[in-house]
Amino acid sequence: MHKMTRKILLVAKRDYLAAIRSKAFLFSLVIAPVMGGGSFIGVAVMKAKPDIQERHVAIVDRTGVAAATVIEAAGEKNADDLFDKITGRQLNPRYVFETAVPDDANPNAQRLELSDRVRRRELFAFLEIGHDALHPPKVADPDKTPEASRVDYYSNAGGIDQSLQWISGAVNTGLRRVRLAQLGVDRSRFADLLDSAKVQTMSLIARDEKTGGIREAHKKSEVEGFIVPFVLVIMLMMIVLFAVGPMLGSVAEDKMQRVFEMLLASATPFELIMGKVVAAVGLSLTSSAVYVAGGLFVLQALAMMGLAPLGLLPWFVVYVAAEVMVLCALAAALGASCASPSDAQHLAMPLFAPVLIPMFLLTPVMQQPNGVFATVLSLFPPFTPLLMMMRQAMPGGVPAWQPWVGLVGIAAWTVGMAWAAARIFRIGILMQGKTASFSDLARWAVRG
Amino acid sequence: MEAIEVREVTKTFGSVTAVDDLTLTVPQGSVYGFIGPNGSGKTTTMRMIVNIFYPDRGAIRVFGQDAGGESSKEIGYLPEERGLYRRMEVRALLEFHGELRGGRNVTAEVNGWLDRFDLAHCAKRRVETLSKGMSQKVQFIAAVVPEPKLLILDEPFTGLDPVSADRVRTAILDLRRRGATVILSTHDMNVAESLCDYILMIYRGRKVLDGTLESIQEQYGNDTIRVSSAGGGDVLQDLPGVEKISDLGHVQELRMSRASDPQEVLRELVTRTRVTTFSVTKPSLRDIFIRIAGHEAAEAPDA
Repeated sequence: MHKMTRKILLVAKRDYLAAIRSKAFLFSLVIAPVMGGGSFIGVAVMKAKPDIQERHVAIVDRTGVAAATVIEAAGEKNADDLFDKITGRQLNPRYVFETAVPDDANPNAQRLELSDRVRRRELFAFLEIGHDALHPPKVADPDKTPEASRVDYYSNAGGIDQSLQWISGAVNTGLRRVRLAQLGVDRSRFADLLDSAKVQTMSLIARDEKTGGIREAHKKSEVEGFIVPFVLVIMLMMIVLFAVGPMLGSVAEDKMQRVFEMLLASATPFELIMGKVVAAVGLSLTSSAVYVAGGLFVLQALAMMGLAPLGLLPWFVVYVAAEVMVLCALAAALGASCASPSDAQHLAMPLFAPVLIPMFLLTPVMQQPNGVFATVLSLFPPFTPLLMMMRQAMPGGVPAWQPWVGLVGIAAWTVGMAWAAARIFRIGILMQGKTASFSDLARWAVRG
Repeated sequence: MEAIEVREVTKTFGSVTAVDDLTLTVPQGSVYGFIGPNGSGKTTTMRMIVNIFYPDRGAIRVFGQDAGGESSKEIGYLPEERGLYRRMEVRALLEFHGELRGGRNVTAEVNGWLDRFDLAHCAKRRVETLSKGMSQKVQFIAAVVPEPKLLILDEPFTGLDPVSADRVRTAILDLRRRGATVILSTHDMNVAESLCDYILMIYRGRKVLDGTLESIQEQYGNDTIRVSSAGGGDVLQDLPGVEKISDLGHVQELRMSRASDPQEVLRELVTRTRVTTFSVTKPSLRDIFIRIAGHEAAEAPDA
């Protein structure tokens, strides 16, 4: 075996065995699925214990004709949505409407009074139906709709207000019924005219590779479109963070304990840093194997193996290895530049940026996974592992060339970072008493 | 072929010149002592020989090859700053260090050295459970397994009790006897005088002494009187031709000016007190060290 490879593997073996026997590794192995599963458990608990407290809504109707119909529509919607049709259990809150006579002389005073009632929790919200809301004039920009043509919704609800969608449905049904009545349409035809067709998302048709026949499309679920890519990305992020964080601290601690100088007489800085990185990759792949095996076991138990993205697993492994390799090399370099393990904590945030920034970008990427924004970002090497993984896992996937181009970028990025990290490591590791500044790090990386 | 050839080597850190145009040759099979005040450049020179630091100028050859080449596996290195993986077991740690440097299994050698240093019973213990002295011995073993052709020891006796120090000294001499070349740095002039075949003194990054103890002392001549008397150091003031008095307790060292006569000193001294011993000799290494480095010796930072 080549001398350099032998030394890298020897260092890697020592670090891997030391880490895998540590309580910290076992803890990280358990805590990741607990944290990941926690959010799903939260959603399940919320569904099991829905908020069904009655919600009172006041309507200020300036059309003079809409309120009664809106309240009627809301009543029908209450009757339709309130209970689970099979179990009879109440699932949603009942909305109770009241009308408020419009104060045309001093509308703001009335709004203030109603707002105070919302603040006192006497009301959940109040609606103001504008004078021309039944027949609003067309405007080019909906945001510039005049006040008289709007229906304004005043509420103190925070977060994602699901009531808005519910009330909006009732209001629009009510207004459409008034319009139909004004056209002389018989009430008995309202339900038919205003009925909405259910639009079902379906998978694309594919040919069965074994039989050659055409397979039937299946209904696509929310799980398929969102949960699978989301879980994959969260798993990838967790595995990377659990590998990189300890590396930063352990190198700083080993430096404090002055273990490196003797090693540097026997191995080059590049061999030492690559040994550490290979050990970290090994640990991450061990974690990945445990999580993937656990995930497949759960899907098997739930008879949902069809959701398992087996074709993406090789890419998952590649992305884990690449991200861990880059960030652990940088972590080792930064750890070597610190005067103490506590100094290393300050460097954690910039180090984790290639993992954290893509997490903030997940929503726009999921909304348009094949848009220019998502494509360009996922080909930016530091972000490729997380964002490309997300895009690949979404229904429809990505053009076949994109993961390979991303891979070339990651490879170049990884080699460049490992090279720079080794140069920083060599200088930083024997420097005592002073934590290097970012300008020091840049100078060491460039000049060696 | 010399074990080490250092040619006109300079190393700077920012604006500080740690080693300045240093040239030295270490013969194979010798024990070569580096002395000098803190911060004079001893450790930096050793780190360059081991290839941890690279010289800015000049060249270093180890056994005829550029430093950092194939010769690196022949070099055992004990750094001044001691540190071991604290959570590893002693034997596993020593095998790791030995295999990393030598590229082969070293279990038998590790066992031999553990026996020799009475550490066999600690082989399965974690390093963090050892006493400081035991850790020092473990680190010394890590430097000599597998047996090196060149052993570089930075302050090898620091922190060792006399028994452990004697074992390390014996081990160093055994290795030399079997053909190893040894470079060691020390602040203990007695160690340098008794253990080293050659002595190099570095001061402010530059070589100021280099040679055998005898050749170094020869440069200064017989300009020292060692005396012990009933009056001790108190009766030695204002003796004719004496430039400096060093009170070593039971013995005092007098440095003579170039034209002075020791007989005149003796005549004057017997008029003051009863003299028990009086010898004219070459200066000790300690005295030479102080003549060169003076009071700065204890003040400079490490380098």
